[in-house]
Amino acid sequence: MLKIKNLRAKVGNNEILKGLNLEVKPGELHAIMGPNGSGKSTLAAVLSGRDSYEVISGSVNFDGIDLLELETSERAREGVFLAFQYPIEIPGVSNLNFMKAALNAKRAHKGLEPIKAKDFLAKVKDCSSLVELDGRLRDRSVNEGFSGGEKKRNEIFQMAMLEPKLAILDETDSGLDIDALRVVSKGVNAMRSSERSFIVITHYQRLLDHIVPDFVHVLSDGCIVKSGGKELALELEEKGYDWLKKSPHEIHNI
Amino acid sequence: MSVFTENFSATLPPPTRRSERWKYSSIAKLLKNEISISKEAAQGKNGWPESVSHNPVISLEAYIAVFKNGVFEPTLSNLPTSDGVECVPFSKREQNEELKFSNTYSKKEWIGELNESYRQDGLYLKVHRNVKVDRPIIIHHLTDGIGVASFPRHFIRVEEGGSLKTVVWSSATDDSSGMYNGILEATIAPNASLSMEKVCNEGGEVFHFSYEHIVQERDSRLKMNTFTIKGNWVRNELEVISLGKGTDSVFNGAYLPKGTEHVDNHTTIDHTCSDGTSSEMYRGVLYGNSTGVFNGKVFVRKDAQKTNAFQQNTNIVADRGASINAKPELEIYADDVKCAHGCTVGQFDLDSIFYLKSRGIDEKYAKALLVEALLNDVLSCVFCLELREEIMRLYTERHEW
Repeated sequence: MLKIKNLRAKVGNNEILKGLNLEVKPGELHAIMGPNGSGKSTLAAVLSGRDSYEVISGSVNFDGIDLLELETSERAREGVFLAFQYPIEIPGVSNLNFMKAALNAKRAHKGLEPIKAKDFLAKVKDCSSLVELDGRLRDRSVNEGFSGGEKKRNEIFQMAMLEPKLAILDETDSGLDIDALRVVSKGVNAMRSSERSFIVITHYQRLLDHIVPDFVHVLSDGCIVKSGGKELALELEEKGYDWLKKSPHEIHNI
Repeated sequence: MSVFTENFSATLPPPTRRSERWKYSSIAKLLKNEISISKEAAQGKNGWPESVSHNPVISLEAYIAVFKNGVFEPTLSNLPTSDGVECVPFSKREQNEELKFSNTYSKKEWIGELNESYRQDGLYLKVHRNVKVDRPIIIHHLTDGIGVASFPRHFIRVEEGGSLKTVVWSSATDDSSGMYNGILEATIAPNASLSMEKVCNEGGEVFHFSYEHIVQERDSRLKMNTFTIKGNWVRNELEVISLGKGTDSVFNGAYLPKGTEHVDNHTTIDHTCSDGTSSEMYRGVLYGNSTGVFNGKVFVRKDAQKTNAFQQNTNIVADRGASINAKPELEIYADDVKCAHGCTVGQFDLDSIFYLKSRGIDEKYAKALLVEALLNDVLSCVFCLELREEIMRLYTERHEW
C-alpha cells in the first residue's frame, strides 16, 4: 500500500527527515512514536503534501502511484486521509457542506455522480454516531467553537465519511481525556479493515492500549531507529527514548 | 474643459484625488467620456432589451417600479395602490406638496449638484402611519446605451409605526457605457422601520454613483445591505443620520470585484442622540487587478450617551494585482458609549485552504468555500430567501464557483 524509501525532507534550511524507510501493507496499523522534534509531524505533513515542506530525496509509493507528484487534494481523492493534530476552525463553512463537497470531489474523481441527499444524510448519521458527535456539532461551522475533544472526534467523523485507504492520525490522542480517547479509539477500531491501513503518530503509549498496533516504530532525529511489535510501546513507556537516541544507526545518520 | 463638462456644467469643480474623500476613487476617466442624457429617453421612446429581465428577482412576490436611463417605464411597473401607501413616480405626481430634500449633498458635492441640476424622474414613496406594506417594493434602474447619463432621485418616507421593505437594483446591458448618478433620500419616522437591499449588477462600462441619505427619528429601525455584484466603477455612498433617541441602524455590504473593476463604499453613521445602536459589517474579496475602497465614518456626538456602535470591515486580497484602501474613521465626543471597530486586509488563510484540500477539495473550490462563508455573513441579513438566493446565484455564476 505505502512504501517510503529513504525519504529526506526539510523545512527552510532545516533537514528534518533524514532518510526514512517505512512499508505499510493493506490492513496494517503502524504506530510511530518518538520524542519531540523527531520528525513525526513532518512525516504527516510531507505525506499529505503540505507547502513549505520540501522533499530533498527519496520516494513515496502509494498503491503504485508516486504520491509526491500529487497535489494535496489529489492525494486525498486517491485515498490518503490526515487527521490533524490541531484541526483548523473555519467560521462560516458548515461542517456538512464541507463533507458533502469533499465526498463529491472524491466521487467525481472516481467518475461517480454526486451523492444523493438522502444517502448523504444517512451516511452522516452513521458516521457521527460512531464518534458520538451530536447533531448540533455536525451542523455548525467547521470546528468553530469546538472543544479539543470535539475537534478530534470531528476528525474521525470526517475519516469515517471519506473512507480512506490510508489514514494518518497525527497525535489524535494529544489533549484528550480518557473518555474522549475511548470514543476516538472506538471510531478508529470500527474503521479497521483488511483493505485500510493506518499510520498512528503518537507521543503516548496510552493510545495504543485502545488502538492496538501491528507495528511500532521509533522515530528519532529524522529516521526510524527501532521497530518492533506492540510490546515496544510498553518498553518505551518504561525506559523513555534516551536509550534509543544513542543507537549506532542514529549516529551513522549524523 | 473636459468632454464631460461640456455637456454637464456645475458651479462646483469635479473632485480630484487631492480631496480626501476622492483620494482613492479617481473620476478622471469619466471626465474623458462623451456622455449625455439619452435622447431616446428624453423623448420618452423606450424599448426594453431582451438580455435583461425588467424584474431582477422574478421569484419574489413584489411591487416594482422600473426605470430605464432615468425615465419611468409605466407598462413594466406594478405599483401598490392600497390606501396606506403613496407610490408614484415624480413625473406622475400631482404637485400639491412641496418636497423638501433634507440634505446638502447637492451643495457640497459636484456629483450631487449634477443630480440636482439634471434630475430626471424617481419614485415618491410614502408609507402612512402604522401601515405595513404587504410586499417588498423593487426599484429597478437599467442603463442601456452608449454614453448614457441617468439622474434618478428617489424619495422614501415611512410614517410613524409604518414598515417598508425595498430593493434598489441597478443593471446595465453589457455594451452600455456612461454614468449612473442616483440619489435616494429616506426618512424613517418614530418607531417605523425600513429594510433596504441595494444591488448593483451592471455590465458594460458605466460609472455608478449612488448616494443614500437616511434620516432616522426616535426608535426607528434601519436594515440595509449593499451588494456589488458587478460594476465597472462603483461608488456607494451611504449616510445615516440618527436624529432621535433609541434608533437602531444595521447596514452591511459585500463586494467582490474582479478584472479592473473599482468598488468604493463610503459610509457614515452619525449618532446625535442617546441610546442608539448601530452595527456595520462590510466584507470584500478583491480579484485580478481590481481596486476597492472602504471608508466608514462613525460619529458619536456629545449628547449621544449610551450609544453602542460597531463596525467591522474584512477584506481578502485574492490576487497579486488587486488592492484595497480601507479606512475606519471614528469620532467620539460622548464619554459613556461602547464603540468597537475592526478592519482587516489579508490573504486567504493558508491553513484553512490546506485543511479543505486535505479532504479532497481542490484549491479553487476551497477558496470559493471561504469566500462564500464571508459572503454569508452579509447574505444572511437579507430580508427574504428569494433575494438571498438570487444574489448568491449571480455571484456564483460570475465567479464560476
